[in-house]
Amino acid sequence: MTVLEGQPQPVQRMSLGAGWRRAWRTGDWWRHLGLGAFLFFMFLPFVITIIISFKDIPQFDHFPFTVTFPLHPDNYLEAWRIVSRYILNSIITSGASVVGMVILAAIAAWAFARYPFPGREIFFFGVLALLMVPGELTLIPAFLLVKDLGLLNTRWVLIAPYIAGGQVFAIFILRQFFEALPGEMFEAARIDGANELQVFRHIGIPLSQSIIGVVAIMHVLSTWNDVIWPLVTLRSNELMTLTIGLYAFRTAWYTIWGPLMAGYVIASIPLIILFAFTSRLFVEGLSSGAIKM
Amino acid sequence: MTTEEIRAPASHAAAAGPAVPQDRQATLGQRIYRYRFVYLMLVPTFALLLTFNYYPAFMGLYRAFFKWDIGLPPEFLGLGNFEKLFIRDDTFLKSLRHVSLLTSWRVISAVTFPFIVAELIFNLRSNVHKYTYRVLTILPAVVPGIVILLLWQFIYDGTHGLLNAFLEGVGLEDWQQPWLGSPKTALYAVTFMGFPWVGGVTVLIYLAGLQGISDEVIDSSLVDGCSGLRRIFSIDIPLILGQFKLIIVLAVIGGLQGWVAVFVMTAGGPGTASMVPGLWMYNNAFLWNKMGYASAIGMFLFVLIMGLTIINVKFVKTGDY
Repeated sequence: MTVLEGQPQPVQRMSLGAGWRRAWRTGDWWRHLGLGAFLFFMFLPFVITIIISFKDIPQFDHFPFTVTFPLHPDNYLEAWRIVSRYILNSIITSGASVVGMVILAAIAAWAFARYPFPGREIFFFGVLALLMVPGELTLIPAFLLVKDLGLLNTRWVLIAPYIAGGQVFAIFILRQFFEALPGEMFEAARIDGANELQVFRHIGIPLSQSIIGVVAIMHVLSTWNDVIWPLVTLRSNELMTLTIGLYAFRTAWYTIWGPLMAGYVIASIPLIILFAFTSRLFVEGLSSGAIKM
Repeated sequence: MTTEEIRAPASHAAAAGPAVPQDRQATLGQRIYRYRFVYLMLVPTFALLLTFNYYPAFMGLYRAFFKWDIGLPPEFLGLGNFEKLFIRDDTFLKSLRHVSLLTSWRVISAVTFPFIVAELIFNLRSNVHKYTYRVLTILPAVVPGIVILLLWQFIYDGTHGLLNAFLEGVGLEDWQQPWLGSPKTALYAVTFMGFPWVGGVTVLIYLAGLQGISDEVIDSSLVDGCSGLRRIFSIDIPLILGQFKLIIVLAVIGGLQGWVAVFVMTAGGPGTASMVPGLWMYNNAFLWNKMGYASAIGMFLFVLIMGLTIINVKFVKTGDY
């Protein structure tokens, strides 16, 4: 409201708008209050996790939820010794499957988007229909399948199904994007003598970097967080991914809260780092569920 | 005339890239042959989909009608598995009640709390503040789900838990419980986990909807003296019904498929006090090797999820524009 003082009197309509706007602005304080309250409770568990992660056992017994000195950063060393292997396994699994998934999905989506081949819509429906199939239906036969294939307790038992399943949504999203790309550009390239592969490699892909980033990040998130499939297909501790590794860690270290919480913190760091560098893609990817309807 | 002449070569060029010449006289066989490299592009995708998605899906539907214990030859039962499921399996029937409670609360909480947060953020004046709050609400979604589940397990812990410590702090020692260990509270503890129930993703979806409302609509509502709660109920909510519909579908599917949380928190216990159908399927398959019976539960979940999704998409009307 101070902004308006001393300025020439605006016309009636304007001052009405300004009045409303002023009302919105002066109302902002309680919005901050409300959001602050929500955020406080959302972050409270994480803050307490970090506090506990620096405690030894007596400190936790006496003052579980407040900061106590001396801090015990050695909890992190202890947790790292156990969790680091699981993190590495998750990076290998999610990394390999995201690379394979993106390559296959991009090629298939390109085929669907740019060539009017006979049977295109039938094949595309064959991909889309899988969006309706929940994991509950396929879990048991898929388990018996990988068992028969002799894949149990190998890295491939995760990577291959992740590539297969991850393609479905990615093809759906990428096809829409590829179709919307301007065709003139590809024409021009063809006239200049580029073959189909070059058009795809040097024009299609570079133009689609950001949407490919979105589907890649969504895939990493979902494979990184998968619990059930690694749980039923992996036995050896050396291959466990982060989710089931942490679950086993919790069972083994129950009530030794300091290192346990330190392990939870360490486990959260890789995705937070990824988020820090690609927050825009994250936000788009996470809300791109909205594309579906 | 001239437009014809100009357009003709252009359209010819557009339709006739080197690889995609289009002549309607070509037979189906010729057209398939012409696009052979495109089919080649689809081979790896479909090889994987057929192996790891289609084969298990059809196998799951097929074996639901068999008694199929590992190591023994499958034995056709007709509808026997389903008969047992719905008539004689008390745990399964109990698990249906549990999953209804879980799913109902998921839907209720998903259409209220994240929407409130989205409205609060949307109505902020400063874009910098809007952006900051958006990032802050999405940040917990980046923490691995298993960490959140294990943290809530700790919050509910009977001897060291945060919830019991809080109750002691406010003088309600009588209410202290081993929340996940008591048959009376286990199901409710799992259901109401996640306070304050603000999913960052859901907030973003609502925000995207609110930002899609045109400024003219909001401005004219302001001129007409419609603001605050009144605007939320008579403008915002009707205009983003599509987002609500999506959130409800996702919450229903998430509730029916959300048995992993139950598995990690209580494993369905104590006893079967917090059993849900997905977990009952898992137990039948991987603890007791009753693959056919478990497949029947899987098929039931598939039909249920698909039915509810179709009902929602078809019959919940939205003002799509």
